[in-house]
Amino acid sequence: MRRLVVCAAGLALAVGLVACGESEQVVVYKQGKYSGKPDGKPWDNEPLAGAKWTKGDKVSWEAEIKQRNQSQNEYKRIDQ
Amino acid sequence: MARMKFLCDAERCIECNGCVTACKSEHEVPWGVNRRRVVTINDGVPGEKSISVACMHCSDAPCMAVCPVDCFYRTDDGVVLHDKDLCIGCGYCFYACPFGAPQFPQAGAFGLRGKMDKCTFCNGGPEKDRSAEEFQKYGRNRLAEGKLPACAEMCSTKALLGGDGDVIADIYRERVFKRGKGSEVWGWGTAYGPGKPAAAPSPAPKS
Amino acid sequence: MLLTRKAGSQAAPQRRLSRGLAGSMAKTIDRRAFLKRSGLTLGAGAVAAQLPFNMIERAEAANEKPAGKVEIKRTVCTHCSVGCAIDAVVQNGVWVRQEPVFDSPLNLGAHCAKGASIREHGITHDSHRLKEPMKLEGGKWKTISWDQAYSEISDKLLKIKKESGPDALFVVGSSKHNNEQSYLLCKWVRLWGTNNTDHQARICHSTTVAGIANTWGYGAMTNSYNDEQNSKCLLFFGSNAAEAHPVSMLHTLHAKENGCKVIVADPRFTRTAAKADKYVRARSGTDVAFLFGLLYHIFNNGWEDKEYIKARVYGMDKVREEVMAKYTPDKVQDVTGVPEQEMLEVAKTLAENRPGFIIWAMGQTQHTNGNAVVRASAVLMLALGNVGRPGGGTNIYRGHDNVQGATDIGPNPDSLPGYYGVAPGSFAHWARVWNVDLKWLQSQFAPGQMTKPGITVSRWIDAVLEKNENIDQDPNIRAVVYWGHAPNSQSRGLEMLEAMKKLDLMVVIDPYPSASAAMFAMARKDGAYLLPAATQLETSGSVTASNRSLQWREQVIEPVFNSRTDQMIMYQLAQKLGFADQLVGKKDGKQNIKLVKGKGGMEEPDIEDTLREINRGTWTIGYTGQSPERLQAHMRNMHVFDVKTLRAKGGKDAKTGYDLTGDYFGLPWPCYGTAAIKHPGSPNLYDTTKHVMDGGGNFRANFGVDKDGVNLLAEDGSHSKGAEITTGYPEFDHVLVKKLGWWDDLTEDEKKEAEGKNWKTDLSGGIQRVVMKHGCHPFGNAKARAVVWNFPDGVPLHREPLYSPRPDLIDKWPTHDDVKNLWRLPTLFKTVQQKNRDAGKQFPLILTSGRLVEYEGGGEETRSNPWLAELQQDNFVEINPKAAADRGIRDGEYVWVSTPTGAKLKVKAQVTERVGADTCFIPFHFSGWWQGQDMLPFYPDGAAPIVRGEAVNTATTYGYDRVTLMQETKTTLCQVAKA
Repeated sequence: MRRLVVCAAGLALAVGLVACGESEQVVVYKQGKYSGKPDGKPWDNEPLAGAKWTKGDKVSWEAEIKQRNQSQNEYKRIDQ
Repeated sequence: MARMKFLCDAERCIECNGCVTACKSEHEVPWGVNRRRVVTINDGVPGEKSISVACMHCSDAPCMAVCPVDCFYRTDDGVVLHDKDLCIGCGYCFYACPFGAPQFPQAGAFGLRGKMDKCTFCNGGPEKDRSAEEFQKYGRNRLAEGKLPACAEMCSTKALLGGDGDVIADIYRERVFKRGKGSEVWGWGTAYGPGKPAAAPSPAPKS
Repeated sequence: MLLTRKAGSQAAPQRRLSRGLAGSMAKTIDRRAFLKRSGLTLGAGAVAAQLPFNMIERAEAANEKPAGKVEIKRTVCTHCSVGCAIDAVVQNGVWVRQEPVFDSPLNLGAHCAKGASIREHGITHDSHRLKEPMKLEGGKWKTISWDQAYSEISDKLLKIKKESGPDALFVVGSSKHNNEQSYLLCKWVRLWGTNNTDHQARICHSTTVAGIANTWGYGAMTNSYNDEQNSKCLLFFGSNAAEAHPVSMLHTLHAKENGCKVIVADPRFTRTAAKADKYVRARSGTDVAFLFGLLYHIFNNGWEDKEYIKARVYGMDKVREEVMAKYTPDKVQDVTGVPEQEMLEVAKTLAENRPGFIIWAMGQTQHTNGNAVVRASAVLMLALGNVGRPGGGTNIYRGHDNVQGATDIGPNPDSLPGYYGVAPGSFAHWARVWNVDLKWLQSQFAPGQMTKPGITVSRWIDAVLEKNENIDQDPNIRAVVYWGHAPNSQSRGLEMLEAMKKLDLMVVIDPYPSASAAMFAMARKDGAYLLPAATQLETSGSVTASNRSLQWREQVIEPVFNSRTDQMIMYQLAQKLGFADQLVGKKDGKQNIKLVKGKGGMEEPDIEDTLREINRGTWTIGYTGQSPERLQAHMRNMHVFDVKTLRAKGGKDAKTGYDLTGDYFGLPWPCYGTAAIKHPGSPNLYDTTKHVMDGGGNFRANFGVDKDGVNLLAEDGSHSKGAEITTGYPEFDHVLVKKLGWWDDLTEDEKKEAEGKNWKTDLSGGIQRVVMKHGCHPFGNAKARAVVWNFPDGVPLHREPLYSPRPDLIDKWPTHDDVKNLWRLPTLFKTVQQKNRDAGKQFPLILTSGRLVEYEGGGEETRSNPWLAELQQDNFVEINPKAAADRGIRDGEYVWVSTPTGAKLKVKAQVTERVGADTCFIPFHFSGWWQGQDMLPFYPDGAAPIVRGEAVNTATTYGYDRVTLMQETKTTLCQVAKA
């Protein structure tokens, strides 16, 4: 709730500036380079029981994920 | 290639908070930290709508841009993650995020915490996949198990979709076609740029 | 200053979360946001007690090997009647994760907040469960051993029995028990020698069961949640499914997406209403007037299904006369507040979109005329020709996960398992099934009491407090066992406290007995015992969902702490009380239910054997075909069942070779005959479009063959598909079977058993088998009754609530006369209504109650789960902005809600248009505050729930249904004032 009020205030300010005919006064941040630890890839793991993909093969992992994604589509289960 | 996205169908969301507790249980998120929450507008009057909100894993993530220690990275599947070992808990990302996703557990109450915490799209973080260390810092890594986020997989009305952007857009488009309305998806433009999931269809996957 | 993204100067302006919300924030407040603000202090306390991130599993498994065997156990959510399947991931005996079961045709992997967090039950770190047996001594809860608890409890019970007879005990069972435990408890109480037992169904759907069974045969949901996908119109009247049965909305919203019209009529604009095509606000407690107001327009426009009514309905002409005379649009508007135009619009939508459902839960049932309300709903659907077909009927949403099963075969005061009323023949039937000596069983009861329905859970307090000469049994109640029931779900809390003061003994058996414990400890210094029971996730057994499908739960984990399974506690107490052998059917060298090793190597009755005994006796409602083997095969092969029809198109169980083809998921009862004849279950009751062996049927012949010369059986040509008798016929017994020349279809063994029996008592199942082979229905083929002449209001009648804001309408639509003896107790109607005729002057607001999605039932269990508790941290009253402004109340402030009982509740005000200006709403899941005081000091250490709050039922008023003694909780009066 408090957060929403803060946001709303920010928004009102921005709109107000535009209304004065000025260009938006914004600070543009440059995206930096990730400096943390490297992370593994999901497909570089052994599939667990029930899942099917070849370890290290991104394409087969994506196929598995897309298949799994259909479980969020009840039309698929209903029409099967 | 897969590009992970979330989509919440406001015509279906009933504010049951299944997504919220699915997340809590799967990652054992402590009290006071809400990686996902449900927001309701027009509560109690006609036009009441609810939306489940978490990190959207934006295409062009503001959090990444503002982070002073550059602890964020984007995976090959478009998931935005961060390294808690680097995070200094400054809170810039919270102010940059249009979705209010970053969470800051009270420092002191949780030992090493005070670091930012947020939704990982159930993809863990920069520790060995499916390891105890990864679980402890970031939660489960379902993508590395061939599964999708627990919140979307358990959604009571399948309002919250999470997965490959093309696939969930197709699922959503079929619904919009059936009911003949509701092609506007809240937050989608902000997170993923121009192009509406229902109005600008991508080719249906052949499966 | 605004932060923006780096890339592309074309980047769209930031869409803050607030932009979409800003416009609306001013006029409405989100319940969640509202409570977030109010709950911060509590959060801090709870946080301190919680482990940091992801530490729970480690704490649980600390002493185990890190990589133990991972097992998947398939179970079913224990929170509501939808029956959502869950795959529990168990490692080293610890429940570490849960996965969705996408294959389930009931929930397709979906969960609400409660289902998605159910794993918390198995977490022992910082658990709020009861961990050890306890005794109240000198005002303190003291840990004792199981042995000590059993000895002391049984000594006291036997002493009471000796002094006052078996009827001095009242046992409240549970809709949380699985079928086998419910059934065993029903038996347990009869072996003790009383009918004084009941469970949650009394106060959730007893009026439905009585009203609907008397209309057409069985008092259950006619179809399934799934079948709404085949429907064209859903009228939610008295159900807030989006909060009470969230996953059912998957089917509802899918149906809506495909063109089904959704209408919600309710005193509140509920979350379900937010998803509807049309919302109508009606005054609470005016249900019959609303339903018959719709029927007026249907008759007036000739929209009724005349052919259907002629063939399948008795008494519609009489209903029509009353409707046209008494429920004209002006009168209906005066009573309900709904204008004629809106009523017409709803009626037209119902008429133009068939088949359709009316859907209800406690919004219809919890009224002093609840039995009439539900019958009016049934009559409305009968007039439209909606009942007994796919896509249409009365979808009655049950509450608890197994309230349907506990109603069917559990502890009820008026019936033995399977609705066999407490008559001599029923006891003879069950004594045979139980392998118990009938004479011995009769001797256990007090003289004359065996065939008299017992006390109800809604009124046990009166059986304690009432003058002895006014009670229809020798003693007052002296001992009460609460075996899985919350005290705060019963009305008249102030008087319950008085009743507790007078009890000799209270025993609470529950994983979370804390509300009862705290209440008792507030009233008394001694006299209570708490026994830690295991949850349903710590045992196995079957559970009946609202759609009558049975599902088998595997045991996920061993009972945690020092808890024991309910069946073990039943057996061990029976050992102390002297009827352990009878409980497991051990007599003459035969034993029905074997004993198996349970927790700690102790013996307990085998759950599968218990189901087999249920199968052997429950012919009335077809609990005979659901063998453990068939149910387990269904659970392993959920993917073969179609979502819209629940039917398996094919498939074989890999483990047993069982052929699933043609079965409906969970063999929804009635699943007639023995398992061997493979009746597939009945997905939709009374459906004449299917053969009886395909789950088809027709209305039941249970009320004779004619009434005053009018034929009660179905007319010529009206019968289930393929029936060899093509007109109405009575129920089957050995005489009718012989007359039809079908007797020789029975085997010799079947003949021996079936001689002299009927379809309900023939233990061979031969009569059912042969009748169905000829396409006929064992219970006959009759008309539904629009007029239930054996009820006080044969034609449902609007009667003003006992506490009504409208004295003028009390005069026009008065309540019943007082009744001297109803379920052993005097019951007041007119006296209370007249005494409170002008209560509206002092208490001008209607008070109603209902559910929240995060919590369930009395709420102790769910309020002990931190993942749920965080979402809803205070109890509150919803009050309209006008009513609030008139009282100087602002949103979020504490207020006092007072009622004519003298009780005062301290809750937070949520100012919202969700309720009209004349109505207030308080959710009923809270307990742990008593009229402004936190009861924390009265809880056993470590067993207080995280969130506590004022229980609405502390303040609810007197009022009971005229037929079933359902409590009135949906309509009373209150006043609200700033605290």
